[in-house]
Amino acid sequence: MQLITMMPETRNEKRETRSKILLPDIQFIKRVKKESNSDLKACMQCGNCTVVCNLSPEENPFPRKEMIWAAWGQKGMLIADPDIWLCHQCGDCTSNCPRGVKPGNVLASLRSQTIEYYANPSFLVKWLKKWWMLPVTVTIPMIIIHLILIIAGTLTITPDPVNYSAMFPHALLNSSFSILALLMIVGIVFSIRSFWKGMVKGYRLSGFEPESQSSVKERSPIKSGMTEKATSIIKTIWQVKKELLAHKKFKDCETNKFRHLAHAMVFYGFVALIVVTLFAILSAILGNYPMPFLNPVKIVGNLAGLSIVVGLLILIFQRLIKKDAVSSSNFFDWSFLISILLLVITGFFTEYARLVNDHLGYYWYLFHLIIMWYVILYLPYTKFGHMVYRFVAMVFVIQTGRK
Amino acid sequence: MEKKLGIYICSGCEIGKSIDMAALEKVGSVSGEHLCRTHAKLCLAESVQNIQEDIKKEHLEGVIVAACSPRFFTKEFSFNQLTERVNLRELVAWSHEAKDADTNMLAEDSLRMGLAKMKSILSPTPFIPDQSSSEILVIGGGISGITASIEAAKAGYKTILVEKNKLGGWSNHLHKQLPMHPPFDYLEKPLISQKIHDVKTQEKVEIHENSSIKEISGQPGEFRVVIKQEEKETKRKVASVVLATGWNPYDAEKLTEFGYGQNPNIITNLDFEKMAKAGPVLKPSDGEVPKQVLFIQCAGSRDKNHLPYCSNYCCGTSLKQALYIRESSKETSVFIVYKDIRTAGKLEAFYEKVQHDDQVFMTKGEIGQLNLQGDRILVDVHQTLLGDNIQLEVDLIVLAIGMTPQNTEDLNLKYRLGKGLPELKYEFADSHFICFPYESRRTGIYAAGSVRSPMDISSSMEDACGAMLKAIQCAEATKRGEAVHPRSGDLSHPEIYFSRCTDCKRCTEECPFGTYDENEKGTPIPNPSRCRRCGICMGACPERVISFEDFNVNAISEMIKAVEIPDEFEEKPRILAFVCENDAYPAFDMAGQKRLKYSPHVRIIPVRCLGSVNNIWISDALSKGFDGILQIGCKPGDDYQCHFINGSDLTEKRGENIQEVLEKMMLENERIKTVFVEINEYDKIPRIIDDYVEEIELIGPNPFKDM
Repeated sequence: MQLITMMPETRNEKRETRSKILLPDIQFIKRVKKESNSDLKACMQCGNCTVVCNLSPEENPFPRKEMIWAAWGQKGMLIADPDIWLCHQCGDCTSNCPRGVKPGNVLASLRSQTIEYYANPSFLVKWLKKWWMLPVTVTIPMIIIHLILIIAGTLTITPDPVNYSAMFPHALLNSSFSILALLMIVGIVFSIRSFWKGMVKGYRLSGFEPESQSSVKERSPIKSGMTEKATSIIKTIWQVKKELLAHKKFKDCETNKFRHLAHAMVFYGFVALIVVTLFAILSAILGNYPMPFLNPVKIVGNLAGLSIVVGLLILIFQRLIKKDAVSSSNFFDWSFLISILLLVITGFFTEYARLVNDHLGYYWYLFHLIIMWYVILYLPYTKFGHMVYRFVAMVFVIQTGRK
Repeated sequence: MEKKLGIYICSGCEIGKSIDMAALEKVGSVSGEHLCRTHAKLCLAESVQNIQEDIKKEHLEGVIVAACSPRFFTKEFSFNQLTERVNLRELVAWSHEAKDADTNMLAEDSLRMGLAKMKSILSPTPFIPDQSSSEILVIGGGISGITASIEAAKAGYKTILVEKNKLGGWSNHLHKQLPMHPPFDYLEKPLISQKIHDVKTQEKVEIHENSSIKEISGQPGEFRVVIKQEEKETKRKVASVVLATGWNPYDAEKLTEFGYGQNPNIITNLDFEKMAKAGPVLKPSDGEVPKQVLFIQCAGSRDKNHLPYCSNYCCGTSLKQALYIRESSKETSVFIVYKDIRTAGKLEAFYEKVQHDDQVFMTKGEIGQLNLQGDRILVDVHQTLLGDNIQLEVDLIVLAIGMTPQNTEDLNLKYRLGKGLPELKYEFADSHFICFPYESRRTGIYAAGSVRSPMDISSSMEDACGAMLKAIQCAEATKRGEAVHPRSGDLSHPEIYFSRCTDCKRCTEECPFGTYDENEKGTPIPNPSRCRRCGICMGACPERVISFEDFNVNAISEMIKAVEIPDEFEEKPRILAFVCENDAYPAFDMAGQKRLKYSPHVRIIPVRCLGSVNNIWISDALSKGFDGILQIGCKPGDDYQCHFINGSDLTEKRGENIQEVLEKMMLENERIKTVFVEINEYDKIPRIIDDYVEEIELIGPNPFKDM
């Protein structure tokens, strides 16, 4: 709640801090150009992108301003800009840009650089963005899992019929994954804390005021009591959560209707899998595991997995077919999509092997767990982090009174 | 003696259905001398053939074609005899009730007016200068003048090219030139040296460098030019003149708000270009390579306090100069702050190319405070695209300054109306840039390049070709005694009956084209080939001694008198309308084509310009019994549409004298009204007419009606 009080108090304070000499970051320009595969500099500030965007707010809309900030190498302003997270990258702006500078791609690159900037430790992002670092980043979870199993002495226990809990006992599984989740949450908290600070600083420096000062004061709970502040931010979080769950914003995108569907399939698949996993843990504790194939929970789980696979295939397919309309894809995008795909597919293989009693299943299971670690451990540092960053940015935006 | 006329009435295009043809034919046959025929379709080749045979067989001295508007079938109805067109289609049949008594009266009056006019006009005999020249004088040896000379030589015309310094003009200072060839995205070698070489090797171009014009007298076809080179004077006779004296940079000393003169590192785009030509661009203060360069666009342009217009060339120039820096020093960043980037046409490709440079930064913005302390200059920029205000730290500022036209008094015209060309709002020597580009207000003198309007090299070259074509046209038309635009091909010209001239100087003062010089006594000396045949002098002359053979005071007076005015006023008022042939008359034609209906009580007399309306016509009309008089012409003012520049202005001025006439006759002011219409305002015609008829009906009849 202290963070909220860092909101600007007066207009004058803002003016003073703003008159800073502007220096372009040339390396940043080069990097955005390269990552987004865009002739960024050719933007003539016509504002078509902003006009066609259904998600852009009326006051100080995006992405026109982001385009010139990027062309002028204003990295500081961009990494503190919550607006880039309001974009769902549907490609409306890119397909309507008269200069072909692909604003959608530029925003994607800016988001990726924002994740990189705030990530703590930041070397992890740098590694994860490079394909030739893949052996290193994959080896880390591999070693950890092997170490756990070697220390527990269960690595070589592969009984017939297939029983994965013999190789990886449930207690060990649950506790190691709890630690893993904790690590991830620590990573998120550290990264998001500096992200929020950055946005607050940017808000004070930026010439763009989300609304007139008076109404910001009315809206933002600067002068009100602690409880009010707390309820306000909780309310906002609740609101954003609802919006994200409903995928409401996504529906407004026009160029790419399929994208909305595909993303929803993946997203809801994940939500369902989380619920199913909770049931699984519960039934494992109660000793009733693995569940039979036709158990309703199991059915839901399998359908959820299927939904993710289909959704991902659509997304991957679109990236391959409409290369420029959707986005230019680099390793950051591909590694995210493919790791999730592999995660679900290995899951299915593991399940299948168990059902047909194929001993290869033990390898699939190991593979599945390694990818699981890869995905969860690195969540704040891969594109998966967009979930958290977008959520936080939307909360920030509502808190500062942006419509 | 009265001429024998052939009167041909067409009944096609609904004319026959609308008008009582028998009654009309009776009007035509009033004098048994004339031949009067009606025909169902007069514009057919065989009907035209018949008229031509009639002319030969019946020895006709004039032909009246009462059919469609004189603006149509001009080729078909041009005979080698004097021809008058009576507009029965657009002005009568198409715009009034069919088979109506009032419509018939209108048609009959129209024919009577045509007949009356025919009595007082003659086929014009052209004025052809005795010793007309075919040579063309080009003043100014910059890119425009050189191009004009080369193009003329290629077309077979000899030119005399006069340059006050040495050939090349501002182009001599160029380091590189904006792209003129596809793909329009790379800088080119300046082409001026090639052009100078080309013009020097042209046989048909006589070059006078380091020379000026001492005097130009005479008229198109026979301008007498005195060229002065130090003490040496050369005399030449030319048919027409292309003025390509170019431009001067706007005085940067006046740009104190951009710190010019207060810091050596604040320079103009011209200084910059000269530096770039001499070597790499360095800071004037210490000779170091600049690290951050700011270009301020529109420095003193599009600015009420300096130049209110856009000079066209500065955006392209700054983009070009930004590339000079980027090419010579990789670590230097360039900022361009503009009001708008204006790279019209193909230059957009070059703009895009410069945009692509990672270290060229452009934004719209207003330059605020400049902090000049120390080596670095801090510049506040307001209202930028990056969001309100930013501050830039730069070490070199380039001001993109605009163009001002060279003074045209260098022409040294021996004209009564002055040495130079009359100027428009922004002091450029143009007559009307939309309707008549290159034309100045002095016939036979055509402006090309930046003296006419601010422009860059490629536009100047195009302009030079256009102006030279007009100059050649003028030379040829003058040889045949024809008017140049807008009455192209008109063979008539004003004649003065000197024995009754009172030397009042009205004609010499009011002629927009300086046709008249005058002697010591103030007697006008006409120069007919300077004339554009608008008749403004005729309208001005209080003694009515100026006339054209086919358009004169008497002829129009006869037309006015030919109208039959009904005795009773009730429901039959009569309005006379003087309608300008240039825009208002076509608007009436269009109203007819759209079948818009208006009051049939109006009698229309087309005039060459509202300025040609002589006050005597007004008193004639009022004495005759017309209840009201309308004058309909083109819009006057700064954005005038008058084809003869100030004809409509003069009508307003002369209005005061007309009021005196009305006062003398004890008549109401409203009996004379002036209305301005644009050519596309045909839809307003019915309202203009009907409202005025209603107004006159309220005032009541002209008391002179029965006298």
